[in-house]
Amino acid sequence: MEPIKRPDHPNRNVGPPPRWATTLLGWLGDPNTVEEVQGDLLELYAYWVKTVGMRKARWRYNLSVLKLLRPRAKRKPSAEYPSPFLLRPDMIRNYLKIALRNLAKSKGYSFINIAGLAAGLACTVVIFLVIRHETSYDRNHTNGSRIYRVETENTKEKHTYPGTYTGMANALQTDVPEAELVVPLFKVRGSTFAVPSTDKRFKESFLFADNRLFHLLNYQWLAGNARTALSQPNTVVLSRSYAEKYFGTTDVLNKTLQLDNKQDLMVAGVLEDQPSTSSFPFDMLVSFSTLKNTSPDFDLNNWNGWGDNFQVFVLLKKDIDPAQLNKRFRSIILKYMDKEALSTKNFLLTPLSQLHYSSNLSGRTANLSLLKTLSFVSVLVLLIACFNFINLSTAQAFKRAKEVGIRKAVGSNRWSLVYQFLTEAGLITFLAVLLAILLAQITLSTVAGMLAVPLATSDLFSWQTGLFAFILAGLTTLLAGVYPAFRLSGMAPIWALKNNTLTQRKQWFSLRQGLVVVQFTVSLILISSALLINQQLTLFRNADLGFNKAAIITVGLPENKPEKLQALRHQLVGSSQIKDVSFSFNSASAESNWMQSMQYRKGTKAIDIRTQTKMGDSRYLDTYGIPLLAGEKLRDTDTSSASLKVIVNEIFLNRSGISRPAEAIGQKVYFGDGQEFATIVGVTKNFNVNSLHQKIDPTLIMVVPKNFYQAGIKLQSEKPTAETVQAALAHIEKVWTATFPNQVFEYSFLDETLAQAYKSETRTAQLIDASTFLAVLIACLGLFGLATFTAEQRTKEIGVRKVLGASVASIITLLSRDFLKLILIAIVLASPIAWYAMNQWLQNFEFKIEIRWWVFALTGLLMAGIALLTVSFQSIKAALMNPVKSLRSE
Amino acid sequence: MKRAFLGEFEEVVLLTVAVLDESAYGVTVTQEIEQKTGRAVGFSTVHTTLQRLEEKGYLSSKMSGATAERGGRRKRFFTVTAAGRKALMEVKSIREQLWDALPPQTLQLMGG
Repeated sequence: MEPIKRPDHPNRNVGPPPRWATTLLGWLGDPNTVEEVQGDLLELYAYWVKTVGMRKARWRYNLSVLKLLRPRAKRKPSAEYPSPFLLRPDMIRNYLKIALRNLAKSKGYSFINIAGLAAGLACTVVIFLVIRHETSYDRNHTNGSRIYRVETENTKEKHTYPGTYTGMANALQTDVPEAELVVPLFKVRGSTFAVPSTDKRFKESFLFADNRLFHLLNYQWLAGNARTALSQPNTVVLSRSYAEKYFGTTDVLNKTLQLDNKQDLMVAGVLEDQPSTSSFPFDMLVSFSTLKNTSPDFDLNNWNGWGDNFQVFVLLKKDIDPAQLNKRFRSIILKYMDKEALSTKNFLLTPLSQLHYSSNLSGRTANLSLLKTLSFVSVLVLLIACFNFINLSTAQAFKRAKEVGIRKAVGSNRWSLVYQFLTEAGLITFLAVLLAILLAQITLSTVAGMLAVPLATSDLFSWQTGLFAFILAGLTTLLAGVYPAFRLSGMAPIWALKNNTLTQRKQWFSLRQGLVVVQFTVSLILISSALLINQQLTLFRNADLGFNKAAIITVGLPENKPEKLQALRHQLVGSSQIKDVSFSFNSASAESNWMQSMQYRKGTKAIDIRTQTKMGDSRYLDTYGIPLLAGEKLRDTDTSSASLKVIVNEIFLNRSGISRPAEAIGQKVYFGDGQEFATIVGVTKNFNVNSLHQKIDPTLIMVVPKNFYQAGIKLQSEKPTAETVQAALAHIEKVWTATFPNQVFEYSFLDETLAQAYKSETRTAQLIDASTFLAVLIACLGLFGLATFTAEQRTKEIGVRKVLGASVASIITLLSRDFLKLILIAIVLASPIAWYAMNQWLQNFEFKIEIRWWVFALTGLLMAGIALLTVSFQSIKAALMNPVKSLRSE
Repeated sequence: MKRAFLGEFEEVVLLTVAVLDESAYGVTVTQEIEQKTGRAVGFSTVHTTLQRLEEKGYLSSKMSGATAERGGRRKRFFTVTAAGRKALMEVKSIREQLWDALPPQTLQLMGG
């Protein structure tokens, strides 16, 4: 057959074929044949141009290229064995199977890994729930982004108060056109509500509000009308649960409730209960106009003083920046107050979304720094657990070196090993997540109670938690699995098979040591923090407050007419259990205080002193055990404004520049408009009028019977038994209810009330205690695992040593020394960090413990002890082993 | 599993490679088939068939003969292997048997 005649120079005068097709072929053609295909097509293109013309040639060229792109073009199988796709279901099944076998093979390590991770994960999940709850407040209101609270700032003290002047509501209405809606709210505590002619009677907090509130926030009405419910005086709107609490039904429109045994209120509406994540969880809303009947002298246009219970909310018009209102506020100050106020007062708008993080009417606030600390600590605990995983799997690597070597020798590539190890990490994490959710379910209610967060198990089983757990599991798998995976898969097969582990050992060792040090550093920081926090709490409990808080029962006084009080005192003191009774505004130390500016005139110089005023009767000092340094006690008759008498404390003297207590007697202090004055008749030792967070204020005590709201009842015995307390309480209740019929009797113990001030610290302490326990537990689990491993590794060595005459003690030392070294490093690292952190925390308190070095020494000792105990179990076992056995084992 | 028999187009390509002897590569095979059979065959079809035949073991190939008009790329020359020759012979003998079995009058009708 004659050969085909081919053009000698096919490309001459033809030009190149379409470039894009050539490029495409280069990219996507089968790499095994692309060379000859490109050449063939070039030749053919020239031939086609000659035979069928340029247009058809280009067409054919393009078509051929397209047909030869992968995957259309047939692949020429390579001569080597094809490597399967590494994530095929078959491969995954294989990874899983091997992972499960490995898990079952080393049950001890698997248990340590899973238990540690589960504890860490459970901790993180619970904290996640808490944080999700705390950050989801007030999110469901339609106009939420435009709602602000007007706050009053004292620019001198740099302190912002949540409340404002009562006049502000009207001022905003008339002077601020940017405000769409102005809603004043006034919260009243401790009023008695009753259903007339029944014994349904409760002490409640309630809110004075008007219909504007219903336009500000979203409410669901079960009965009643948002436009008219609170228009009339003497109307009340109840929540569903409160309607049921008082009437047993929600069908309560036009029924009557009685406020403080005086004022009848008509139920004008019933609201669906607010969700638990609301800063406005009020169950009783009374119309503002009722205020004229209950407290006729309450001034709704007051610019002289303010309280935290009167708050004004404002809905800004669309697209108004709250900063724009600064000018308006300045002109309000000028218009309603005076020029001087301009330098000390300022008003701020705080968005609704921030309400939960500062003081608000609901009383439930989130402590942002506590939340941050919490999440930080939970991440630390999780990290410790992950480190366990990394440490144990790299340690295990020696056992698996042969496996890796053989896998590589028979053709496994690095990625399939990486997938294998990641699957193992993933499986362990998965099991840990399951266990963690179980743990979280068990502990959730305890934690919720500890943090006073309303969380239920149903919160745990939401899709958000699911998603979080999923992401967390993914991250944990990567965190715990990636390093071992790459480390193990990177071993050279020849090295792995030779099993000459000693040379490689040093390299592994440093990272493992590092991780152990980090684990113990974190544990040590937590332990010493826990110790110090508990010391501070003990200080709170046992501090000398300057008065005696023991065995004092406080009860409220619904009325304070002198005759009634006189009779009450008389009857109370009649009991043999009761030593003393004092009527006063509040206790010697209390959360709410009466601050007032006092002036002492020294020659021509006038000294203004911001003073805390305690209002109490003649028995005040005796009842609370406040020692008098000079002068005499007050008398119950020292009430006439003409000859007002007061007792001051030492700090007051300091401020006013009087050096000796005796000199103060007979001096005058001026107050009010500067004409009124009072004479100092006595000086007391300093006593803590505030919680120990704060300094002791300059304080004076005077007799103001109209402000007596509380009776402090001191029992005879300093440490009363349960029976005497019961007997005293029964007596008090009987006398009290006889004096104040139709009132709800409530009592509290002064020491318990005072302890309330340290609630936040107590919570922090409990949480730190719990996480310390977890962290130490997990770290020790890891250490135990490592010790087991080391002991196993050195079985032969120990055998030889024993044969050569080493003692048990020397072998235990040998095995424990390495770990002790790490703990020593951890102590050196942890102590300064813990010192710094706790020093920062202690800045919150005016009265604080000193951080002493022995706390860290004790912590270190404790940790070393725990670690030794953990390690010694294994080292003693190894040391006691019969060398014949260990030397025979292969 | 590889097919043990030759498809019609495979047979044509295999035969053409045998015909072209030493100079059989993608371009020549395509042109030869086009000229001899008069049917327009796509280069890609020929290329894949050549690959398949090699995979089946009927062809072997080696790279050589880079020229300037190919942009310096080498050609993949194909030669028929022993298995390929055997397969061709088998096909031919089956055809011949069938032709032989044809009754003479039918042969006449077909204009043979």
